[in-house]
Amino acid sequence: MTIRKALTGTFSALAVMAALGTGTASADDLKLWTLSFDSPTVVSAWKDIIKAFEAKNPGITVMMENRSTDEHKAALRVAARSDQGPDIYFMWAGLGLGGEFVNAGLSKPLDSYYAQYKWDDRLSAIAGSYSKLYPGGRHGVPYTFHGEALYYNKALFTKAGIAAPPTTYAELKADAAKLKAAGIPAFTFGGSVNWHLMRLMDAILESQCGADKHDALKAMKADWASEPCATASFKELKDWSANYTLSPFMGIDQSQSFKLFLANRAAMMLEGDWLVGQIRDAGRLADFDVFPIPTGTDRLYSFAEYYYVSSKSKAPDAAAKFLDYLLSDEVQQKYLGVIGSISVNAHVKYDNVDALNQRWLDIFAKYTKTFVNGDQAFPLNVTTEYFRVINEVASGSIAPENGGKTLQIFISANK
Amino acid sequence: MAKAFPSLRPQTQGYLLIAPALAVYALFAVYPMLNVVWMSFSAWNGLSPTSRFVGVANYRAVLTSDPVFWGALTNTVYWTALAVIVPNVVAFGLALALNQNLPGRSGLRVIFYLPVIIASIAVATIWKWMYDPFFGLFSNLLTTWGLTDFIGDWLGDRRIALWSVFAAYVWQTVGFAMVLFLAGLQNVSTTLVEAARIDGAGRWDVFRHVTLPAMKPTITVVFVLSLINSLKAFDIIYGMTGGGPAQSTQMLAMWAYTQSMQLGDFGKGAAISVILLVVTLAIVIPYLRWMQTQSEASK
Repeated sequence: MTIRKALTGTFSALAVMAALGTGTASADDLKLWTLSFDSPTVVSAWKDIIKAFEAKNPGITVMMENRSTDEHKAALRVAARSDQGPDIYFMWAGLGLGGEFVNAGLSKPLDSYYAQYKWDDRLSAIAGSYSKLYPGGRHGVPYTFHGEALYYNKALFTKAGIAAPPTTYAELKADAAKLKAAGIPAFTFGGSVNWHLMRLMDAILESQCGADKHDALKAMKADWASEPCATASFKELKDWSANYTLSPFMGIDQSQSFKLFLANRAAMMLEGDWLVGQIRDAGRLADFDVFPIPTGTDRLYSFAEYYYVSSKSKAPDAAAKFLDYLLSDEVQQKYLGVIGSISVNAHVKYDNVDALNQRWLDIFAKYTKTFVNGDQAFPLNVTTEYFRVINEVASGSIAPENGGKTLQIFISANK
Repeated sequence: MAKAFPSLRPQTQGYLLIAPALAVYALFAVYPMLNVVWMSFSAWNGLSPTSRFVGVANYRAVLTSDPVFWGALTNTVYWTALAVIVPNVVAFGLALALNQNLPGRSGLRVIFYLPVIIASIAVATIWKWMYDPFFGLFSNLLTTWGLTDFIGDWLGDRRIALWSVFAAYVWQTVGFAMVLFLAGLQNVSTTLVEAARIDGAGRWDVFRHVTLPAMKPTITVVFVLSLINSLKAFDIIYGMTGGGPAQSTQMLAMWAYTQSMQLGDFGKGAAISVILLVVTLAIVIPYLRWMQTQSEASK
């Protein structure tokens, strides 16, 4: 065999293999990239939704790939320059996360599909509003609209002599003191996942700074170093973490923290409406209740999760058809309480909901304004520094007085 | 092969044979490395189609205004210094012990080697569970023994978190070095050992003047491998602490990954990677040259 013949043979074989490899996928094979789901009920619901959609739409198959939060973000970034990425991808709807991909041109504007499927007729206004954040078209459809509030262990509250949930920040602090006196840590947090403790800091900022100042700080238009409410917030964070949080907490994650909450080791947990499903899976619905964070600003701590159609999708029509099915009255009604306590579909009827989900419905009905999580408000690099400073203050490595100053130094250097 | 290309010179045939491997190496190792160097002088968020040349701005930012970089560099230096000593000393001791005619020797070798074949992320998960301050193995054992005061926030206290991870790293890597040392010990001439004993050498003298010199090539290989592996330590730390608490267990390799893949600042991530590469070469090349000099001097 000559070299030429050997090389020709090898390259021919490679070409055939490549052709076979690329020839197996059909144009209507949809790749859906989303997060890993914690609750088995949600996993099961998604399998059923995909199965039912495929049965109704022969020729379209949906392949779901689940990843943890950080892996999902990294995978999307890698896929940004490839044709092997998803047709539909999950992302938080805020400007800090979903917005990065939209602004980079990786989301397909869905105006025509909004018109074709009349999504606005069925979507709740607040959930759908995030699709209008960008110039040049509407991006993504809402999957969930989540509120975050304080879950509490009813028996532990009773044991500490707390008759009713607090309605002001001062009452919350007083109740934490009562719990402490009864030997009960007020909160459990998982410090190793930075965003968990961040929620406490976000809530404190809202209560100490008020809505406008808080928004200005998160938009980096106010100075963290000189703003007294920022310093006061870091002092409060230190107080909560040192005196009213189940310790140690910096080395555990959110799921470990939830186990401690279920084990009655702490009285409260700052979580979203999705926790109802996990509490239900644990068979403990009767033991817990939930109340809004008493920040005094009448704004709900909340965020939206969206599904976006990739601008690189070769099957955008099929992708839109799947999203239409996901948003349909039928699916949203059937999986109410599984996907979220409140549906993004305004046609959904809320009959026979359990007590915790009903509490969430009451909370959603009460609020008209919202404030978002810090990691959705800041750019990614500032979020990372925000996490670091929060953890440093909570663990005592940075004095609370220097928390705002440290963050501002980073913001100024990276503007 | 010689019959297939009878007209070619042996050197040409040699180059021809290594050409495929060289092509793969160039494509998957050399090109990415050069690309990273180029990227370190660029600004790119990983999403836009083009990057922008920014000169040394990324290096300046990393060295002067990155609040995590110097801590990550310090951690990397401490980690590396200990990683080339602690696991290898333990491994050398184990190899010497398991080179003796012990009952159950093969089984013990397997037991000590077993952690090496477990994926790092699985090792991280196992140790993370053992370190859980509420439900973990260590906390339960200490509680059972009445030593609750010693229960620590193993992965949450910045004073001990890095070393808690290091303990898991030692557990995971000792077996690999042990196998290399065991292989090296098979090359120690029994004739020389016996001759030394006949000359009246004690155990220590035999070890010092016969075993150790014969093990020099193996020690060099183990040293270089553990040096490189420790400098690029990533997965076990990522799995156990993610660099926390408050970036206190951050390492250069992981910080480069974080900058690039999580924060989307590929330029800064590449700059950190290049700095790590320079640090690695600055340590490895002089050491290899010194070993080569020693080897030539002893001939």
